[in-house]
Amino acid sequence: MNYPMWFLPETGGGILIALIAILHVFVSHFAVGGGLYLIYAEKKGLRESSEQILEFTKKHARFFLLVTVVFGSITGVGIWFIIALVNPAATSFLIHTFVFGWAAEWVFFFVEIMAAFIYFYMFGRMDSATHLKIGWVYFISAWMSLFLINGIIGFMLTPGAWLENPDFWVGFFNPSFFPSLFFRTFIAIFLAGIYGCFSAAFVKDRATRETMTRFSGKWSLIALLGTIPSGFWYLAILPEQAKNLVLGKSPTIVTMMEWGVISLLALLIIILLTAMYRPSLNSKWVAATLMLAGLVYFGSFEWTREAARRPYAINELIYSNMIFKDQVDEISSQGFLTSARWVQTRELSADNLIRAGEEIFVHQCYACHTIDGINNDIVSRTATMSYGALRSYIGKIHQMRYFMPPFVGTGEEVDALAAYIAGGLHGKEIVTVKQEDSGVRLFEENCAACHDSADLAPSLDGNSQEELAGLLTRLDEISEEMVPFAGSEEEFKMLSGYLFSLNNETGSQADTGKTDGAELFDINCSACHAAEDLAVAVSEWSPEEFRSVLDKLETLSEEMVPYEGTAGEKDALTEYMEKLKGEL
Amino acid sequence: METVYIPSPDTIPIAWGWFQFLLLLTFPLHLLAMNAMLGGLGIGITQQVLGGDIRSRLAHRIAIALPLVIAVVVNLGVAPLLFLQVLYGQFAYTSAILMGAFWIMIVPLLIIAYYGAYLYDFNYSRLGSMGILVAVLTFCLLIVIAYFFSNNMLLMTLPERFAEYFSHMAGDYLVSGDPQFLPRYLHMIFGALAVGGLFVAILGRFRATADPELAEHALRLGMKVFSWFTCLNVCFGLWYLLVIDRETMMMFMGADLPATISFTLALVLVVMVIVSGFRNKLLATFAMTTALVYLMTFMRAWVRSSYLREHFTLGDLQVVTQYSPLVFFLVTLVLGIACVIWMLRLTAAALKNDSRPSV
Repeated sequence: MNYPMWFLPETGGGILIALIAILHVFVSHFAVGGGLYLIYAEKKGLRESSEQILEFTKKHARFFLLVTVVFGSITGVGIWFIIALVNPAATSFLIHTFVFGWAAEWVFFFVEIMAAFIYFYMFGRMDSATHLKIGWVYFISAWMSLFLINGIIGFMLTPGAWLENPDFWVGFFNPSFFPSLFFRTFIAIFLAGIYGCFSAAFVKDRATRETMTRFSGKWSLIALLGTIPSGFWYLAILPEQAKNLVLGKSPTIVTMMEWGVISLLALLIIILLTAMYRPSLNSKWVAATLMLAGLVYFGSFEWTREAARRPYAINELIYSNMIFKDQVDEISSQGFLTSARWVQTRELSADNLIRAGEEIFVHQCYACHTIDGINNDIVSRTATMSYGALRSYIGKIHQMRYFMPPFVGTGEEVDALAAYIAGGLHGKEIVTVKQEDSGVRLFEENCAACHDSADLAPSLDGNSQEELAGLLTRLDEISEEMVPFAGSEEEFKMLSGYLFSLNNETGSQADTGKTDGAELFDINCSACHAAEDLAVAVSEWSPEEFRSVLDKLETLSEEMVPYEGTAGEKDALTEYMEKLKGEL
Repeated sequence: METVYIPSPDTIPIAWGWFQFLLLLTFPLHLLAMNAMLGGLGIGITQQVLGGDIRSRLAHRIAIALPLVIAVVVNLGVAPLLFLQVLYGQFAYTSAILMGAFWIMIVPLLIIAYYGAYLYDFNYSRLGSMGILVAVLTFCLLIVIAYFFSNNMLLMTLPERFAEYFSHMAGDYLVSGDPQFLPRYLHMIFGALAVGGLFVAILGRFRATADPELAEHALRLGMKVFSWFTCLNVCFGLWYLLVIDRETMMMFMGADLPATISFTLALVLVVMVIVSGFRNKLLATFAMTTALVYLMTFMRAWVRSSYLREHFTLGDLQVVTQYSPLVFFLVTLVLGIACVIWMLRLTAAALKNDSRPSV
């Protein structure tokens, strides 16, 4: 909201970041591990006095230079460009907070480039001991680049004590610093072996090809083993919420993890087959498959790490939509449209509801959701939801799905966003459904300013619904500060029904006046469930079972939240589900 | 009154003067390297097109040097862009977003150009006249990248234009139509072609022992290109001066003493480098040109701060002091420079003992 949002509705910024970042890290980690690989490949050639191995090493150094110095360097700058375009607030924060970390990394980048050029162009032109020293300078400076960037990336996931003590070093040496450093170092060495296999596949001399395939395979395997304990260490230090996301609460992470496991298995099989069992099996196609599996393996890790930060760009500090966590309350009370810098609609009216909603969408949702795009398409994700369902869902979005940022703004702004999605994107009718007429809503609007429902319940115990309805007409008799409830007959029914349900949890006597199960389903369930699909899923359940489950939804899955409606509403939902089952 | 949309800046860890110093220290180095890249490649192409043994040899030397020069350009561009974002991030990020679709294109274009440079280098002899096409494509990509950079650096100084965001949310806004753009861009491109001449002359100097004929040709050609293009560039510089707003222009005409002194000194240096260039005094010309590029960078900074003054001055930035990261950086910088010098000395010593043609 402090910065404009680069708005490419069908594409989304996230996919652009992922595209550049995953390709970059696949090369940049090779740039680190590959330095070490070159040193040891050269040493092997020298030790065995093998011209062929030295020739291989030189050619691999040329490949290394072309891949890392060109593609690696420019995509590195590319990440900087793209994150500044997609999330300038977080980028600016990281640049300003860690400016001298970045600056030091620039120095190592310079040393690294100079060493890479000298290593390649002077291969065979300086004495081996000096040449190897240049190789070591390269590797150490490349690893120091990793060391520095690792601190800053780690900060984004686990800012740790920095949140209380905003000191550069506290943020840099954050809780995930060392596990991540070890993990990435092993990954870098591992990838160097994969790239080595790839280079070896192009060697014409069979003996050298097999020797270097075996060398590269062993190299990879040892490093891959190192990633396992460091990976678990990494997982162990994650904050609770991030750990939950990684371990299954985030659907996208689950998918990515599956890809990670598949690619890991592919890597292991290919390495064991070609490197350990029969190096002659290594061919250009096998090596290319190995590279692809390596890319997917590392890509799934990077995606998981990024997604584990959700709903934040910098954990506990800046949400992925560039809103600072500590500004949420203030903005919500003042209104998003009046607080945001880059919006044109400042005041809401019936005429500009959809336009205002679109602006809210751009600044609060577009960071993760595309419109008719591939990545997190908002249109398909809300296809089953009505305006009312969206209103209900948006207001409690962060509670229902932790990985989504909370909506920041007023109730009217919730309505505007819901209107944009339901009316603007889906062309659905923007009508207020009965949720707002329900007893809960009436209680919130009329009573909650002074009364907490739990505190009020004991004093109402023993009254029938009719008695409670009567009480509502003479509230001024109870206290001078109260005024009689003035609502329609229907509203009296609903509010008294709700009050009755406070002490009669399981009773079905409460009549909220709201018995339309279809509407209740739409408002409360359709964000995640299609009614027909759910009917199929519970087709074997008895009505009693279904009804009892509504009292303990949170026990079904961690993603489900308790149903907060009345007993009557639960009955209506059960009836609705029975009706659907009958139509199957 | 129209709303001016400017984001709030983040805090900085030390006084802004440090960052300004580092920005003005590193940006001219990037410019010099960029000039060597663009101008050098331009001269290399014309040499190959004109043909002949000596010209072809020179074009080949340039082709060999090009990938390393591009690497240095990119690296030396990182530091000033970092310090620019620290000082003016709220403007630079916003302007980049307004032209985001073009700005991000720099990444693939640069990758293609870079690989083009390697192709030109590694396959110079084999490619023959196809090499010219590759080099021309690389050159074109580089000037397109420069076009995007000039757009962004100009747009960031025009926050009144930021409201264009609402009509260009897809990041398709450019300010090439602004009166400042063309002289500014041409001044940068022709400056690069001129300094490219110096680079070619220096490249020849490195081959003075092994190939004195080439060195002589490179010197004469390079200094001629430098001198004539500098003469031409004076015109673009004056054009640029005339199109900036009056208040800013007057800063260099007496309203601001340091700015005026710099401008005067720069004019004197321009005359001196042209004279020195026509006399083929390579080292003196190079030294004075370096000083001139520094002075022009200072003047560029004055222009920027003058354009932004109504909305922001660097003194507005809030400081939350912490010096130790600066110390860490400075130590790293000293060690890094020492390490590079050590490696270059090892390389030079090895080349001295190596009988094969130098790299």
